[in-house]
Amino acid sequence: MQDSDPSGERDSGGTTLLECKGIGKSFPGVRALDGVNLSLQKGQVLSLIGENGAGKSTLMKILAGVQPPDEGEILLDGKPVEIESTRAALDLGISLIHQELNLATNLSVGANVFLGREPLRGGLIDESTIKKESAKFLKMVGLDVSPDTLVGDLTIGRQQMVEIAKALSVNARVLIMDEPTSSLSQAEAENLFVVIKDLRARGVSVIYISHRLGEVKELSDHVTVMRDGENAGELSREAVSHEAMVRLMVGRDLSEYYERKEREKGNLALEVKKLRTPVHPQHELTFSVASGEIVGIAGLVGAGRTEMLETLFGVTPALGGSIQVSGAELELDSPVSAIAAGIALAPEDRKQQGLVIDMTVRENLSLAALRRDQKKAGFLDFAKEKKISEEMITAMRVKTPNENQIIRYLSGGNQQKVVLGKWLAMKPKILLLDEPTRGIDVGAKSEIYALMEELAESGVAILYVSSEMEEILGMADRALVMHEGRITGELTREELTEENVMQLATGGEKTAA
Amino acid sequence: MNVKILGITLLLVGLWLFLAVQVPEGFLNGNNMFNLFLRTAMYGVLGIGVAFVIITAGIDLSIGSIVCLSGVLLSLFLSVSYDPTDREHVLEIDPQRQVIVLAEQTDRFEAGDQLRYYGSTQARSTVVTLVGVEQVVTEDDGGNSVSRSLLRVNGLNPATSKASDGFLATLFPVKGVDTEKGTVTVEGQLAGLEARDQIRFIKPRGGMEQIVVGRTESVDGNTRVSMEGDMGALDAGWLAMPLFRDQTMPIPVALLSVLGIALLLGVVHGLLVTKIHLQPFVVTLCGLLLYRGISRWLVNDRDTGYGNEYESSLSLLTNGKFELFTLGEPYGTYSIPYAFFIFILVAILAAVFLNKTIYGRYMLALGRNVEAARFSGIDTDRMTIIGYVICTVMGALGGLFFLNYSNSIAPSSHGNFFELYAIAAAVLGGCSLRGGEGSILGVVVGTALMVTLKMFINLMKISDTLEFAIIGIVILVGVVADELLKKAVARRQASKS
Repeated sequence: MQDSDPSGERDSGGTTLLECKGIGKSFPGVRALDGVNLSLQKGQVLSLIGENGAGKSTLMKILAGVQPPDEGEILLDGKPVEIESTRAALDLGISLIHQELNLATNLSVGANVFLGREPLRGGLIDESTIKKESAKFLKMVGLDVSPDTLVGDLTIGRQQMVEIAKALSVNARVLIMDEPTSSLSQAEAENLFVVIKDLRARGVSVIYISHRLGEVKELSDHVTVMRDGENAGELSREAVSHEAMVRLMVGRDLSEYYERKEREKGNLALEVKKLRTPVHPQHELTFSVASGEIVGIAGLVGAGRTEMLETLFGVTPALGGSIQVSGAELELDSPVSAIAAGIALAPEDRKQQGLVIDMTVRENLSLAALRRDQKKAGFLDFAKEKKISEEMITAMRVKTPNENQIIRYLSGGNQQKVVLGKWLAMKPKILLLDEPTRGIDVGAKSEIYALMEELAESGVAILYVSSEMEEILGMADRALVMHEGRITGELTREELTEENVMQLATGGEKTAA
Repeated sequence: MNVKILGITLLLVGLWLFLAVQVPEGFLNGNNMFNLFLRTAMYGVLGIGVAFVIITAGIDLSIGSIVCLSGVLLSLFLSVSYDPTDREHVLEIDPQRQVIVLAEQTDRFEAGDQLRYYGSTQARSTVVTLVGVEQVVTEDDGGNSVSRSLLRVNGLNPATSKASDGFLATLFPVKGVDTEKGTVTVEGQLAGLEARDQIRFIKPRGGMEQIVVGRTESVDGNTRVSMEGDMGALDAGWLAMPLFRDQTMPIPVALLSVLGIALLLGVVHGLLVTKIHLQPFVVTLCGLLLYRGISRWLVNDRDTGYGNEYESSLSLLTNGKFELFTLGEPYGTYSIPYAFFIFILVAILAAVFLNKTIYGRYMLALGRNVEAARFSGIDTDRMTIIGYVICTVMGALGGLFFLNYSNSIAPSSHGNFFELYAIAAAVLGGCSLRGGEGSILGVVVGTALMVTLKMFINLMKISDTLEFAIIGIVILVGVVADELLKKAVARRQASKS
């Protein structure tokens, strides 16, 4: 990567590469950034953390040339620069990898790496150069696929590597990664960390944005914490700890993050026997959840957990086996029948499956309950709808100006609260949660954990899928671990250890508690 | 009322004011106002229909063909024929021998009867007098022997050649005409003749009148018929041929059949879109071609319609009017067509359905995000199918309107481009082709705007070759303004939260 360093120096630290001084940015009615400073050393992994709405994304968009700052200056190699466009940012060697990957899935890996900068020969695309060059960058990120492979055929984790290879191919000196692990499995994430460390060794600087404090701790040379559009604090490598980060992010101590209480288990709410899902028809799933119980489902991405929840919710009907709710055998062929049986699902993909993001908070909160609440010949009861949604907004502590706010403009945490509120309005017996805190900031996370506790206390059976180890260890009364479509083990509270979960999740055996 | 609808409403009112000032006599006169209401109503039902499909994030290109197909079907189902009931099939006529051979044996005719021969493609219609009847036995094509009646007559023109085919019907002499009372007395019993049947009066040496029957009564073995309509030169000595009215179907049956067929087509569209996951554009493009082709085939591509048969019933939809007031010339009488009242009723029902019922809410939700709607326990397939059904049924209602308006329709061109007018009106009125967005009031205003634009082109004496171009520009400006507006609103919203 010497080419990427015009100064020719190979200094692995100590030199300030990029500096932001007093960056301010306002949108009509809101001050998104106020005098923010940031300093990135050469060959450093800098983590930028903060709750949603803290201003991280705005700052990164400014660095990537998506929008200009109102005030302040940006120094690159000590010289002030104007980053007027994404093109200008790329020319300066600043590359942003979005949380949602920006790849053309219908094109090959090579074509994606050189998208917009295709080498030409005689006016036509020079495919052989693309292949040769992109293979070089793929090797750099440890991605063992042919440049001819279609991007759409790769896993999300490998697609991420293509994005990084693409960034390297434009000689990126500063790589900004916005929640890169949010849709990766543990193994893929581990692989990503290896690549990031390798990049650091090559002198590339990385700005790493994540809500997963575990990885932040593992990766960071330095942590910058933001809160409400301002700098909240800096942590050097030695000072990084879970508690310190949380304290700076939320501005208060979260002494009890997971507030588990001892609860009485009730009768069996959900009993699943020999269930076969369309995705993994060769495996039979058998388990049960009692009312008042919180059961976690751990496993790697692709273990078939989401598919199992979708079958329980009637989205993809089962191929065989039986599902009993409160002892009654059910034929679940659509969400309609699942809802009628008292089952609710807060899906993994909140924006696609959980919410109609261009409708209002009120309309989303009432969407599932309409059929039940509005019995007068199908006519809407607006007064009742308003009352219920106001109740739910209060109960869920949704931060919204009013019930007529469009969902799109709420933060991820508040969106998730609306999804939960939508189902709680139905008073479900069984609540299925798929990655309930994905992409949600720390404050909202702990509120959602508290809600889960409250619901279990009131007798709801909760079955949740999580890819975050902490969340499984912290919340579950009992955990099921899945691997490649089958349940490899069940862990009681006493057996719940990181080692046991990882063993089972990768297809191994649990060790005795 | 949102900003967008306010915008096009202002544009519409502005256009009206402009026309009222520039060409007051042309624009404001009673006839033109009637037309404005009528066309808005006719195109408006199509716009409302397609709005529902657009709200489910679909499209329906088959509307114009549905308008045509339902028009053709209605004119077939409601077609009326007038035939003499006591007619006999003619096998052959031989003018040289003054002989007519009937297909079957009959003893209906007696010597001295006046008969009318008609219906052959080879020989002209003519009136003959029966001289005598014989029964003969001949062989048919298959070699079987058949008894037939052979009529010896007077009056066949010997100069004409032999002919086969046709009918023979009895004629009744007219005994007297009372032009004051509007009655005709006919010799003999015209059994079964009722109001709305007709009598064709024939003068032996040329001349013909066909008049609608009002009422019949029996007087001294003769029949006195009250006629509706001008009796013209009718006089004693003419001959009467009673014609019985035969309507293929009663009006309610015909209407329900056509609406039922449209409903079925909508269900098929919806099933193909939801169950087979075909793209709405493709499904309804095939519909556009298919229904057009079927319409042309059904009537051999001939102009079709039911003329003035339903003047006092169906045709009142578009011709009937509720009179408001009369001003002096050149403004004339102001009135509202009945079709407009139906349109307003449909619009109110549609608006209530869309905004006040859970089904409308479901459609708006699934149009925005079908997956989230399904995950909320909404039967999204069923709601989508309902959208397509509303659209085709509205197409059939439009078909009824346009058939009555046009009187006679050409199946190859009737309804061409109507789907585009409807979609344009819906888009102008605030429907987004991305789905989940739409307003019935907007569609009503959008349709009125389209109709007014056409009038504008006419009244301002702009070359009508520019019609499409002007409509295109207005829609383009409309959607551009809308998109800019939406961005501004989004920015304001984003900064609020």
